Amino acid sequence: MIALRDVVQQFGGRVVLEIPGLQFLPGRRYGLIGENGSGKTTLIRMLAGTSRPTSGIIEGLQGKKVGYLPQSPYAFSFSVLENVAMALDGRNDAKELAQKALVAVGMESLVEARGERLSGGEAQRMALARVLVRSYDVLLLDEPTSSTDVRSMDFIETTLKEYVEKTHCTLIFSTHSPAQALRLADEVLYLEKGRLVEQGPAQGLFHSPEDERTKAFLRHWSLNS
Amino acid sequence: MIKQVLELLFGADPELRQIIGVTLRMSVMSTLISALIGIPWGVAMGANQFKGKAILSRITNTLMGLPPVVAGLIVFLVLSRSGPLGKLSLLYSVPAMVIAQVVLISPIIAGMTANIVSLRAPSINETCAGIGINGWKRLWLTIKECRIPFVTSVLAGFGRSIAEVGAVQMVGGNIQFKTRVMTTAIMMQTNMGRFELAVALGIVLLIISFIVNSLVHRIQEQTLRDRTA
Repeated sequence: MIALRDVVQQFGGRVVLEIPGLQFLPGRRYGLIGENGSGKTTLIRMLAGTSRPTSGIIEGLQGKKVGYLPQSPYAFSFSVLENVAMALDGRNDAKELAQKALVAVGMESLVEARGERLSGGEAQRMALARVLVRSYDVLLLDEPTSSTDVRSMDFIETTLKEYVEKTHCTLIFSTHSPAQALRLADEVLYLEKGRLVEQGPAQGLFHSPEDERTKAFLRHWSLNS
Repeated sequence: MIKQVLELLFGADPELRQIIGVTLRMSVMSTLISALIGIPWGVAMGANQFKGKAILSRITNTLMGLPPVVAGLIVFLVLSRSGPLGKLSLLYSVPAMVIAQVVLISPIIAGMTANIVSLRAPSINETCAGIGINGWKRLWLTIKECRIPFVTSVLAGFGRSIAEVGAVQMVGGNIQFKTRVMTTAIMMQTNMGRFELAVALGIVLLIISFIVNSLVHRIQEQTLRDRTA
């Protein structure tokens, strides 16, 4: 179990995230929703270890295999296949597994293309394949489909569900789309201005939110979708 | 005068050839040494977050704008007979000019390299951390990804080196057939009212600058095309 205790993150003296207590249970799928600046990326980066909290403790990640897809993943200038295989460096079957991972995200026709020449959506799918090519105990995805079209999004969501079922990992992802959180997550966490406003089972939170702020966010989303 | 300039340019004037030879030797040497110092310095600054980075960055930026005569003065004092390296008797030699240019160019290459690396490093670092690539391997990947823009910073260093006059004049002494380079020769010939050699050297300098700038432009365009294609 991953646990956050009194975690605060400040940038330039401004508090961007403040979580008194939060737990993520093994094998569960968690979706983080909220507007820009709500703290989704900060929370995921802290869990990934690429950002340290100003104060507080994050427990339960020591010795765990943690995979992380940042919001703007880098596409290296070598081939797409090598971009994915680099995550398996040292394994004899790296290219074979990379090829399979690329098929899983619908990029089999672009294996020879150079990473730097991909479109934003293609680069994001390639980066997802690069993460999914390995098995993790905890998988952190920061807006994994923000640049992809609707068709690719369906494809990616199916791939993600299959991956989680196969590996039994804890999945924590952020998304701008509450609908995607509903499709992918067991539990949804609504963040606003760096604070966790509400957390609950996906269906429950969407159909009967308790907090007025969550209601307002979901009402705004349903009016605009 | 045009006829004399053309004769100098296309003839076999030994002094002109010698001046061009010394200039190229000095510029290539100082650029290579500066690249060896400036690139690791810039990578260290651009790829990492560490205590003292802000002050190091400010020092580098200050050194990027170091007036050549100040660099010349420092190297002159260090290499002069009573200076700490006076025993090496390097003053008024090409190696002294190379040292002065390294003092001037290394910070320029370092500053440009740091800018190049700092644009890509955050994304590369996050991506590598996400798939368990850390340490030296991550640094090597960052360097590999920036290798083409690095050439731009080295060429900019070369451009600065070949056009520099103040520092090389001070520590080289503009000695005929020994330490006279294109810029110091142009200055001297102009002062003496002998414009033919000055104009001929000016044309060679402009051609070299044009070639270097064209290379930089081409590399920048290629990099931009690769990134936006």
